[in-house]
Amino acid sequence: MVNKDLKSSVPTDREFILGILNNSADTLNKLYKAHFAMILQFILNNNGDEDDAKDVYQEAIIILHNKVKEGDFELSSKLKTYIYSVCRRIWLKKLSLNSRKSGNITDYEDVFVVEDDIERHEERDAAFVKMQSALEHLGEPCKTIIQDFYIHSLSMQDICEKFGYTNTDNAKTQKYKCLQRLKKIFFQH
Amino acid sequence: MRNDLELDAIIEDYLLGKLNPQETEAFEQLRRKDAAVDHKVVSHKVFLHTMEEYAQQLLLKEQLEQIHSEIDVDGLVAEVAPHPSRIVQLWRKHKSAIAVAASFIILSLVSIYSIQHNSQQTDRYVQLSNQVTNALKTQNSLIRKINTNNNAVPNKAGNPGRYGGTGFAISTNGYILTNLHVINGADSIYVQNSKGESFKVKAVYTDAQYDMAILKVSDKNFSYLSSLPYTIKRGGSSIGENVYTLGYSKDDAVLGEGYVSSKNGFIGDTTQYQVAIPVNPGNSGGPLLDNNGNLVGIISGKPDQTEGAAFAIKSKFILEAMSAIPQDSLGKKLVTNKKSLLSGLKRTQQIERLQDYVFMIKVY
Repeated sequence: MVNKDLKSSVPTDREFILGILNNSADTLNKLYKAHFAMILQFILNNNGDEDDAKDVYQEAIIILHNKVKEGDFELSSKLKTYIYSVCRRIWLKKLSLNSRKSGNITDYEDVFVVEDDIERHEERDAAFVKMQSALEHLGEPCKTIIQDFYIHSLSMQDICEKFGYTNTDNAKTQKYKCLQRLKKIFFQH
Repeated sequence: MRNDLELDAIIEDYLLGKLNPQETEAFEQLRRKDAAVDHKVVSHKVFLHTMEEYAQQLLLKEQLEQIHSEIDVDGLVAEVAPHPSRIVQLWRKHKSAIAVAASFIILSLVSIYSIQHNSQQTDRYVQLSNQVTNALKTQNSLIRKINTNNNAVPNKAGNPGRYGGTGFAISTNGYILTNLHVINGADSIYVQNSKGESFKVKAVYTDAQYDMAILKVSDKNFSYLSSLPYTIKRGGSSIGENVYTLGYSKDDAVLGEGYVSSKNGFIGDTTQYQVAIPVNPGNSGGPLLDNNGNLVGIISGKPDQTEGAAFAIKSKFILEAMSAIPQDSLGKKLVTNKKSLLSGLKRTQQIERLQDYVFMIKVY
């Protein structure tokens, strides 16, 4: 009973970070739910809707997640403040891009500078988008084979059965053909 | 083409560490020899890294989508959306600041209360002493009040006098006694008798200690008075002795009757009596007489907190003041311990005779 209570309570910032490092889905879940309302309020009060809030918030969580994973996240401030600062920065950028009025941002929390983190995320995101569009261009069945192998980590055996190849060598050959095309598309863009 | 595919497979196995030591050794040799192979290895490494990251981000995004779908967004929106009312918006924005301010106020109140509570006893002492000084001040300010209030009364009657009081003759040739505070700071002083005639006077003697002033009529039109109807009482008066005064608390003379209520005046002042006569501003400087027409004092003030009481300077100090004037110049002056002309008369007759010797003092 006591244990259950402890589990369901909101973890501390340190516990969040440890959880992310250990790939704990439960921690990510709690972290996500802990601060979404704050960002939703911020976006809603600054000319955005709940979809904007979702996009901005998920971006911020990803930035935080990557930063923690890379091991260069120092808990110098509250996690909440960090998340808020990142979201605020992202949203300000989006507002100015869409030239929506952004003269007065209504703040709800303290803010500190997160420009570097966001720039880094943007580079990473560019690569992500590039890979995504390359995969789109690849077409079926290559896209699924590549995704199954590299993203969903299926074995060649599974792929062979799934796509009805007579043996895994055929499947492998097909995979490498697909990979060659993908690399071509990816490096050309 | 076939070779390319095989090469790719080897490169990938190499990068993923799936080759055995001999194969690794052989491949690294090939890599060193063939720049094209080396380039392929590097680019495939970059590609694999990007793919790995892509996979991670994709999985993370899927995970977040999954979590997001568990949140009741609509409920939250209703909760945190900008409220139409400005007050609620302000409250939401400054919740924490308001909370801090409120707790600070509460803390201050608590500490002030506890400080007061601790020092309550000393406080009471202070209050007592305050009362004494207050009372002291009240008498002084009352005298001033007498001054200023008199200001208002004559003004209403169309009288240009700034303020005024009462005075009475101490000789037949125009010497008039009043309180110093009545004429203090005056530019010019006039007296007005019961018939409404005004005469210019000037102060010839002032005594700040006993609050007395002697004025002399300097107006040529002033006709000498007939002999003074009252005499001065040298001795003290007893408590309970009936006394009365005539004063100009308004434009006409007003009679106030009472008795000596205390042998000492304001907080034990031995130069004064306390008398139970209702007096008003303007009574200052009025004569206090007993039933036999003897002058027992001069009305000079009243305690603030006691209604119907007044203070009167004892008559023996009038004598002292009079002695300061060259005796020859006084002419037919106030005398002591002689049977007064008022003695044995009814009060109405006494007043009739008295009123010609009591003057309204008008100060400009």
